[in-house]
Amino acid sequence: MKALRTEFDVSELPTVTFGHRSLMWWGTLGFMVIEGWTIALLVASYFYLRQNYEAWPPLRTPYPRLLIPTINLAIMLVSFVPVYRAAVAAKRLDEAAVKRWLVASSVIALPILMLRWWELWAINTRWDTNAYGSAAWVIVGFHTSLLLLDIADTWGLTLFYFLKKMPLKAFSDTADNSFYWYFTVGIWIPIYLIVYVGPRVF
Amino acid sequence: MSAPRGQQPATVTLAGDDLARDSATLEALWRDCPGFWGWLTAVDHKSIGKRYIITAFLMFLAGGIEAALMRAQLARPENTLLGPDQYNQIFTTHGTTMMFLFAVPMMTAMGIYFVPLMVGARSIAFPRLNAFGYWTYLVGVVFLYVCLFANTGPDAGWFAYTPLSGPAYSPGHRVDVWAQLVTFTEIAALAAAVNVIVTTFKMRAPGMSLNRIPLFVWAQLVVAFMIVFAMPAVATGSTLMLAADRAVNTHWFNAAEGGDALLWQHIFWFFGHPEVYIIFLPALGFVTPIVETFSRRKVVGYTALVLANITTAFFAFGLWVHHMFATPIPELGQSLFTAASMLIAIPTGVQIFCWIATMWSGRLRLATPLLFVLGFIFTFVNGGITGVMLASVAFDKQAHDTFFVVAHLHYVLVGGAVMPLFGAFYYWFPKITGRLLGETLGKWHFWLFLIGVNVAFFPMHVLGLNGMPRRVYTYLAATGWGPLNLVASLGATTIALSVLLFVINAVWSWMGGAPAGADPWGSSGLEWAAASPAPSYNFLHIPVVTSRHPLWDPIAERPVVTGLSTTRREVLITTTFDARPDSLHQHPDASIWPLYLALCMGVTFIGSIFTPYLVLVGLALSLIGIAGWGWTGTRASGPERVATPRPVTEGL
Amino acid sequence: MHSFFHPGSPHANAVAHLWWWMFGVGGAIWIGVTLVALYAAFTRRGSGDGLVEPPAAEHRRIERVVSAATFVTILILAGFLVYDFSVGRALAAHPQRGLTIDVTGHQWWWEVTYENPDPSRRLVTANEMHVPVGEPVQFTLRAADVIHSFWAPSLDGKRDLIPGYTSSFWFTADTAGVYRGQCAEFCGLEHAKMAFYIVADPRPRFEAWLKAASQSHQAPADPTLAYGERVFLASGCATCHSISGTQAFATVGPNLSHFASRSTIAAGTLTNTSVNLTRWILNPQVVKPGVGMPAVPLDSGPLTALVAYLESLK
Repeated sequence: MKALRTEFDVSELPTVTFGHRSLMWWGTLGFMVIEGWTIALLVASYFYLRQNYEAWPPLRTPYPRLLIPTINLAIMLVSFVPVYRAAVAAKRLDEAAVKRWLVASSVIALPILMLRWWELWAINTRWDTNAYGSAAWVIVGFHTSLLLLDIADTWGLTLFYFLKKMPLKAFSDTADNSFYWYFTVGIWIPIYLIVYVGPRVF
Repeated sequence: MSAPRGQQPATVTLAGDDLARDSATLEALWRDCPGFWGWLTAVDHKSIGKRYIITAFLMFLAGGIEAALMRAQLARPENTLLGPDQYNQIFTTHGTTMMFLFAVPMMTAMGIYFVPLMVGARSIAFPRLNAFGYWTYLVGVVFLYVCLFANTGPDAGWFAYTPLSGPAYSPGHRVDVWAQLVTFTEIAALAAAVNVIVTTFKMRAPGMSLNRIPLFVWAQLVVAFMIVFAMPAVATGSTLMLAADRAVNTHWFNAAEGGDALLWQHIFWFFGHPEVYIIFLPALGFVTPIVETFSRRKVVGYTALVLANITTAFFAFGLWVHHMFATPIPELGQSLFTAASMLIAIPTGVQIFCWIATMWSGRLRLATPLLFVLGFIFTFVNGGITGVMLASVAFDKQAHDTFFVVAHLHYVLVGGAVMPLFGAFYYWFPKITGRLLGETLGKWHFWLFLIGVNVAFFPMHVLGLNGMPRRVYTYLAATGWGPLNLVASLGATTIALSVLLFVINAVWSWMGGAPAGADPWGSSGLEWAAASPAPSYNFLHIPVVTSRHPLWDPIAERPVVTGLSTTRREVLITTTFDARPDSLHQHPDASIWPLYLALCMGVTFIGSIFTPYLVLVGLALSLIGIAGWGWTGTRASGPERVATPRPVTEGL
Repeated sequence: MHSFFHPGSPHANAVAHLWWWMFGVGGAIWIGVTLVALYAAFTRRGSGDGLVEPPAAEHRRIERVVSAATFVTILILAGFLVYDFSVGRALAAHPQRGLTIDVTGHQWWWEVTYENPDPSRRLVTANEMHVPVGEPVQFTLRAADVIHSFWAPSLDGKRDLIPGYTSSFWFTADTAGVYRGQCAEFCGLEHAKMAFYIVADPRPRFEAWLKAASQSHQAPADPTLAYGERVFLASGCATCHSISGTQAFATVGPNLSHFASRSTIAAGTLTNTSVNLTRWILNPQVVKPGVGMPAVPLDSGPLTALVAYLESLK
């Protein structure tokens, strides 16, 4: 029989880590890859259908409207600020700052969400009019589901911080929540360009 | 030298260990709650893995019954056992069941059960996500079969080509059932894949650097990445496109409004080809440990085998158009896919050469697991060769959509995945249940299965080339296809008999077979260091690994990890490449939220077939579930220590 | 003839040739690998517990053998790739335009049109077509509803008919005869009963057939047949079918103008005899459940006349 020997005593290892050292970060990354890849497939399909047309949007289909989507894009870019600051505060373990910036993030989510409704209609073609309309609506609609999840997550986390004393590992979750927000807004930028700006350009 | 077989792990302890007290404490800490509630709230990866394996096997039997019905109908020309409507539902459900409800879930189930044990971890990375994946899968199983028995089974094929599967030509809800089933199985597969990747990257035992992980784990890891990139395609196609066309009149596939029927085929096969490698590669991961153990030597070409797995996975994403050679796609493009489809034979060939070389230079014990490996080589190589034939555009235009392809796909899937899977069952059944499967029944099972598979499927090559297309519920006597169809049906009967023997063997052995002990075969992997079956906490002390074949290490002392908590569920996180201890993570206790959320998914997606209001209801209910899941995840018992930041140069 | 193993055209021949090579080499590889594995299985058996650890020299030898086997595999695959590409290129070469036949796939029958600059000589038929032996014929393929696939194994590979796409391919039948084909893409309930026939005739016979088939019918002289024509027009048949020279010109179902010259009924489902035709008309749903044609419950008098009329439409 073999004797056992202690090679590592891990009892004093940290229990709260950030970034790639944390399991939840990897889970978040996995989710982002999956959803980002789904969007890539939808965009590829959008361009696949494009090649069936001479004109894009198809004849007698109006261009998407640009005003509301551009305003919302601007608000989303601005939202990077409170979200980023929340992550920085979390890594500093500054609970008061975290709460402040989470509230700010939650507040800025409201106009984003509301304007998203008009953003969908700004496509200016119904999803059941033609394949162009179908593709545009499904891409924006799918992104909307990611946005809803992100906002629900953020509101929930903010609420939890006010409902109880959160453990230190919640700081890691806060940083991961910001990580997901960067993705949700970041992936919107090419979608905005392709769906709203694109038809005027190509 | 190798550990003697048939004994419990060494009960040598460290100074200060009280084996009985420590194992009882840990067992109570990590085990599922007792009773029915415990069953509903279980998050132990072994519990989830076991039920996944059993459910997937029941799906194999269901798919087999569907196949038996099909073969009974086709045994004679112009047979009237099944009418066209029944036959179309049955062949669709056969394919859907085998591909979505048996093959992929079974392979991910083996990963869920064994990867944590093989990498020396207490648990899987995300236990609640794991449970959620299983429950979602189960919702899909129940949904499909309830609908089938209600005469609302999908009937447009497991591949559901548009526009046949669209709203105009498949009215009613049958294809919607298929589309939502795909959603459920896709969610389950992705949950399993994320779990396998993160467990493998971050929770390995110290010393198990990436170049020391077992080939079983490599296969699971590679396949998990494939799932991440393939499954979204079928989910996009079925849920965001086909279901949308059917429910809210989008025009993705409607040529009259700018849609394109071929878009479906591209999206589906972009998933569909990797799908078959998602089924096949884990089976290759079973073969290596079986060959090693029963040849009593380390496998030839570990690095080559790893690289072959990775290469195959990449290539698999570049083959999909070979399912579309009969469509009007430009021929230059088709040629690229011919080349890729032929070249993918090379990495697989390398793997087979390595295994044969291992057996040639080893000392063989022809136990049932190794017999199934030999059966795999015989059967799969045949299928691989017909696959190379089908890579030729000119020949494929003759053989596509005929029984030649039915023969090919069954040779590669039954030979390449099911045979290694049966071998894996005989090999790892003792680890799961603590008992050995009967060897005599096992050999009968093997021989009948091998003969049955070849008698059933070989004639189909000839039938296909003699003009018999696929997915036909009958054929005229004048075609001359009758005799070979009868032979194939007799082969199918033999397969059924052999599987029955296996079921008898499994049930009998589970209830009262020979006790196995921790390491009945003299194997090399870490899972054989745990008891059979493993306790809830897997390892009393996480082992420290010093080679690719830990249990075959000729070292005097076993280094281990100490210091993991015995009062809360704590797992060790290690660095990604070198597996140095990095941090501790508190894992969740049993939870009802995974089941709750899976049921909400059911309401949402099944409801979407009928009315958007159910979708809103389902989403609202899901929100509660996410909140509950998150809330219970914010518990922290015990002291918390925050990590100091570490430069990246010290390793990921 | 409906078998890959009985090629009736240069295309089918070339592909069969390629395949027999792949079969030979592939079969040899299969047998070879099996024999090697079996040899190892039988001769390397042994009991005892110790591990086998071959010395370094043996290791290198094993690696060389595996590498060699891999190299041979690559060579064989490369060889077949080259052979296959050359066959593909040869098959893709386009001939001078000759006869063009338009085929449109329906659930579950084949609409066949021979265009003609003179519209009165345009021939529309169903499920059976004639081609001249030894001359290239181009097929233009469309689908009316769902995806179908046009496959006559003795003549050429299959091509899919896809709604929204028009595709074409060609082949030359170099042997006279009757070639059978069947739909090879699952297209719904009666996919299994959607066959077609290509009759390859020497040029003179083909021209005679084409001339006769393009002609409109005169009103039948025989009173029974005339009665049968009236039954046809009065029983709703004209809702879906056309017969040239009559007032039936619907295109929902197969064109019946020269129905009697076809060897089968319902896309290869029944041989074209009076008995079968009677059965079919009375209730097509029994023969081919789900087909678009409803039951036509006629009394035996009108039914006999109708069948006689249809069987007179050569």
